[in-house]
This record gives sequence, C-alpha cells and structure tokens, in this order.
Amino acid sequence: MRREAIRPNSALVSLLLATLVVWLGLDTVSVSPNRIVPGQGVDVLGVAGWGGVAASIAPILIVLGLAWRPTPVRLRWATGLVVLMLSALPVWLVVAAALTVDPDMPQARMGIGGGVWVALFLLLLALIELRTRLALSRVLGWALLLVPLASLAACLALGLEPLALRQEYQGRSAAFVSAIGEHLMLVGVAVSLSLMLGIGLAMAMRHWPRAQRMGFAILNFLQTIPSLALFGLLLAPLAWLSGRFEWLAALGVSGIGWAPALLALVGYSLLPMVRNTYVALDGVDPDVIDAARGMGMSRGQVFRQVRLPLALPVILEGIRITTVQAIGLTAVAALIGAGGLGTFIFQGLGQAAMDLVLLGALPILVMALVADALLGALTDLLRPGGAT
Amino acid sequence: MIELIHVTKRFGDVVAVDDVSLSVGKGELCVLVGTSGCGKSTTLRMINRLIEHSDGEIHLDGQPVREFREEVLRRRIGYAIQSTGLFPHWTVERNIGLVPRLLKWPASRVRERVEELMALLDLSMGEFAGKYPSQLSGGQAQRVGVARALAADPEILLMDEPFGALDPITRESLQDELARLQARLHKTIVFVTHDMDEALRLADRLVVMHQGRIVQQGHPIELLREPADEFVESLLGGEDRGLKEAALLPVSERMTPLGPRLVAKERVAQHATLREALSIMLWRHVERLAVVDDDDIPIGELSLRRLVGARGHESPGP
Repeated sequence: MRREAIRPNSALVSLLLATLVVWLGLDTVSVSPNRIVPGQGVDVLGVAGWGGVAASIAPILIVLGLAWRPTPVRLRWATGLVVLMLSALPVWLVVAAALTVDPDMPQARMGIGGGVWVALFLLLLALIELRTRLALSRVLGWALLLVPLASLAACLALGLEPLALRQEYQGRSAAFVSAIGEHLMLVGVAVSLSLMLGIGLAMAMRHWPRAQRMGFAILNFLQTIPSLALFGLLLAPLAWLSGRFEWLAALGVSGIGWAPALLALVGYSLLPMVRNTYVALDGVDPDVIDAARGMGMSRGQVFRQVRLPLALPVILEGIRITTVQAIGLTAVAALIGAGGLGTFIFQGLGQAAMDLVLLGALPILVMALVADALLGALTDLLRPGGAT
Repeated sequence: MIELIHVTKRFGDVVAVDDVSLSVGKGELCVLVGTSGCGKSTTLRMINRLIEHSDGEIHLDGQPVREFREEVLRRRIGYAIQSTGLFPHWTVERNIGLVPRLLKWPASRVRERVEELMALLDLSMGEFAGKYPSQLSGGQAQRVGVARALAADPEILLMDEPFGALDPITRESLQDELARLQARLHKTIVFVTHDMDEALRLADRLVVMHQGRIVQQGHPIELLREPADEFVESLLGGEDRGLKEAALLPVSERMTPLGPRLVAKERVAQHATLREALSIMLWRHVERLAVVDDDDIPIGELSLRRLVGARGHESPGP
C-alpha cells in the first residue's frame, strides 16, 4: 500500500535528466591560447575521458534513483548529493584547467562552458525543489549554499589561475571593488529617493483622485522610454543647467556622469514604487479603517498606527521590485559615464572579451538575487501572525 | 441619553435618512431594524459622526454632537461592527486596550482593564491575550470586538449588526451574553440589525425603519400586537407573530396557582417562554404542564387554554 503511494518526483527527475543531457552534450570549458582568439570548446569526454564521464555522472544517476521513489530519508540524501555536486563544480574547473591548459603558455586561458553554467542553474533549481519538499526553512536553504560557495572560494585561492574570469579580475581588482561600490551607491540613492517621492506621490494621488489618472499616465509613459534614449534626452538639459548654475556644477552635475543616471533611475523606479504604495495604502480593509475612526483615532493616528503598518508588506514588495530593476538598469548607466559594474560589460563588448562581460554581469546577477532574497525575507518577517 | 431631532441625511440627491426623530433613554437598548438600505446604519453612524447629518440635531446628554471634537466624541462612545474591524497586526490585548490608550490611561490601568474585560467576556487571558485576530474564530473575534467597544467604559454603545456574520448557534449565545452584560452594565445601546428575531430578543425599544423613515417604534410586544401597517406586519413575521410574541413572554405570566392535586406529568420551568411551553405540549401531546421553579419543585400549572390567553373559568381536569 505505502509503496504504491510513493510516486516519482517528476520535477526532480526531469531536472536531473536535463542536467545529465547538458553535462554530456554541451561544452564544459573552452580553451584559448590568448585573450583575443575565440576559445575552443571541450566537452567532458574531451577533458577527462570515459573515466571522468563515469565519475561525474554517477552522483546524477544516484539522485535520479532517489527521486524515483522519494521517501523523506531519500530526499535528504538527494539534498546532500546535490550540494556535493554544486561544491564539486569549482573543483571540476580546477581539474579541467590542469588537464586542458598548457602550463608553458602563460597567455593561455580557460573559459567556463555552457555545460557548467546550465548544470549549475539546473542543480540550483533541484535544490529549491528539495528544500520545498522537505519543508526546510529559508535560512537552512541559504546555509546549504554556503558549502558550494566555500568550495568556490577555496578553489579560487588555491588554483584556477588559467580561469579567464579570474585573469580579467586580476588586472582590475581595484576598479572592480570601486565599481561595486558605485553600483550599490547609485542603486541605494535611486531607490531611497524614489521611495520618498513614491510615498509622497501615492498619498497625493489618494488625496486628489483626479491627480491619480494623470499621475499614472505620466509614470507609465516614463516607463516606456527606452533607457538609452532617456539618458540621451537628459544629456542636453543637464549640461545646460550645470553651465548656468555654478553650484550645480560644483556638486558634480553635468550632462554625463552620475546626475543623468540617477535622474533616469529614479524616473524608472517611480512607477513600481508609486503603484505598489498606492495599491498597498488603498487595499487596507475599509472596515478596519472604519473601526479605527469609530474608536476615536485621529487621521494621523489612523495613518501611522493602522494604514501604514498594514500596507507595509505590499510597499516592501514595491521596494523589492524597484531595487532589483534598478540593479539591472544601473548597468546601462555606465554608457553615460556613471560608473558601476556596467563599465566592465561595455568594455568587454567593445573588446569582444566575453569573460570581461561576465566579470561585470555575474556580480549584478548576484546582487539582484541577494537583494531579492533579503527584502523578501523582510516582507515575511513583517507579516504579523500570518495575517493578511 | 441620545436624542435625534428631525434628522435628515442626503447623499447628493438621495435622501438616506428622512426626518428621523428618536430618543434613547439612559440604560435603554434600542434596536433599529429594517430591510437593507433603509437608513438604519446611516442613522447609527451619524450619532458618532462617522457620517455627518445634513439637517436636524443630534444631542448627547443634551449637547449637540457637533459641539464635540470628533475624536473626543467617539472615544466616549463604544463602537462595534459586523466585520469586527479588529486590527489584524495587533494582538487581542492591544486591540482591546485601544481606546484607553488613546485616552492616555497609564499602562498598568490599561492592562487591568483589559484583564477585567476579557474575564467579563469569557476570554481566557492566558489563551487569547497574545493571539492575533486571524487566529480567532468568528465568535471569539466578535467577543473581542465587544470588549474593545466596552474598554473605556463608555455610557453609550453603538453596535452595527455585530452578530450578523456568525452562525446561528454562536449568534444566539452572543445575544444571550449581550443581554446578560446589559442587565449588569445598563449601557445606553443603539443596535442595528436586519434579523427580526434578534431584534425582538434584545430590544427594550424596537424602531422599524423603511426608506429612510421611522415607520413605528415602541416595545416589541406593542409592535407585535398592533403593527402600524402591512410592512411592519410582514417584517415582524406575518402569521408567525403569535409565536414570536409567545417567545417574549415567560410561563409565569400565564400559569395558574397549584391546585389541590397536580394532574400534569410533563414539566416546564417558570422562566421558560410560552413558546417553549407550547412546543413541549405539541411534542408530548398534552394540554397541561406542571410549572416548576429552579429547584424543580412544582409551583403552578399551565393549560393550553391559559397559554393561548383564552379568558374564562378553567374546567378542572378529568
């Protein structure tokens, strides 16, 4: 009876089958004699021979087997194995570098192939599925990821010199750190400004319903302007302003640089911020507000003690969306000299050096994921007693 | 004491409340009843100025409500509504203590008062004080709502269909509870409902509203016996009116003193209603009941003839 009740976990099975296919089917690394020449793709068989293939697919097959009859105990084992595989990926890169890159050629470098990227992505999805099935806490889920991260750090410290990404970083470590700082600063200031403006606008719209349609129309329109065009449009007026008012120029405002970038970022951030804040404030149960007024709370008390706290989770949702969006958009701002991680992306594009593009893009991805997770956790924390 | 003097409320061209005059005495439980949209809720909400009246005057202990600052007025008046309106982000304890805290009572006194009220409404402090409204059943939430309305010991209580969303059994037990509380606290209560049984059960004064006007007001028995028009009659249950009246009268009102010998075997408590007595007769196929006191000792008799109010001499049993 019990045996029949246990069905294969189809999500896990398909994720692992897909991992198997891409691991064996796609190039696992690419090797090039120097920075300019396009890399030559190598698959797992080419790197490590049949022995390597067998050793690397063994854990995938075991997890497949465990997922076929997924009892809680087996799922725990599967979780362990998936974490192990994730941690093995950096080690695999060390092995691949040792086997494929000629140590006598100092310019030779190794890029990470599609097989590794896609396998990483699929295994992370499998981990999320396992976390859900086993009902592990969010914190434990993140803690599990520390193991692969530690493995990556260790591998970077001990070897992996030929890794192209690392080589790109080595020459720019100072620039890299300051780019991350600029990026975070731009995002932080833009999100804070749009939060303050957004709450003000949303409250104004609630107060004057006529302003509401107009306000949303303008914000929607702003959102439709392509980011590059908006940066371009801001160039002339800001240059004129800074030429006209010395104190603006002294502040560092000019047609290019941080000023137009910040303005554009705030412009784009306003719509999600205002929309969420408006919906949040408007969506509070009218009966609760009625009771609050009926009990004798003043307008200010109703707003501060009832409406705002009840709206907060949805407002935070707006901050989350805005932050993630701003982290991505700030990359484009590098084009008008605002700095940030986008600098590497555009340099890399100009030099046809994909690994330099990755050096800019990967931290942006990580930042977006971390911001998303942190703000999501904060939202959960602020929901009282599992209520609305 | 609440007085409405020729009060009218217009929303644009629509007249929601039309020239209503009503006086609710101290300690009186006044029930406004009528079909939905008849203006009963609007009337209630004009008293604590959640809605401002267009014409006429509303007085609280002789003083026009417009002379109070809104918040001050409302903190003096308890307010309970159908959806409870409990703050979902506050615990039960904090919800109940709301008005005392608005009135700047010291924390220790607020806490004492909350404990007192939770005991009064049969809510165990240990079990419920730290709970959030979403963790309560409908009946529990409504008890908390009533406790919150009573928190600052207001003389006046406004209740807008407070039991409307509850199942029949919970609703009845809360009605009993309210009747019990009222017998102890003697608040001046304005209670809005569309449930006629609830209205008849609770009201000292029943006010029937229709299309913004008061059609009839008086003691429930008066209205049952002499409904002003067909609308009141149909609202009061038409053919069922006899039973509804019987449900308002205690057995002791119609019983006869104990004769030399007791002939009836089936018993009914003296505090039971005539309706309950009739039900026992129907159920047991008898025409006579022995009326017993709290200790189950017979103190009288009730015959079917007497129950239905027929006059004339009793013929002794066979």
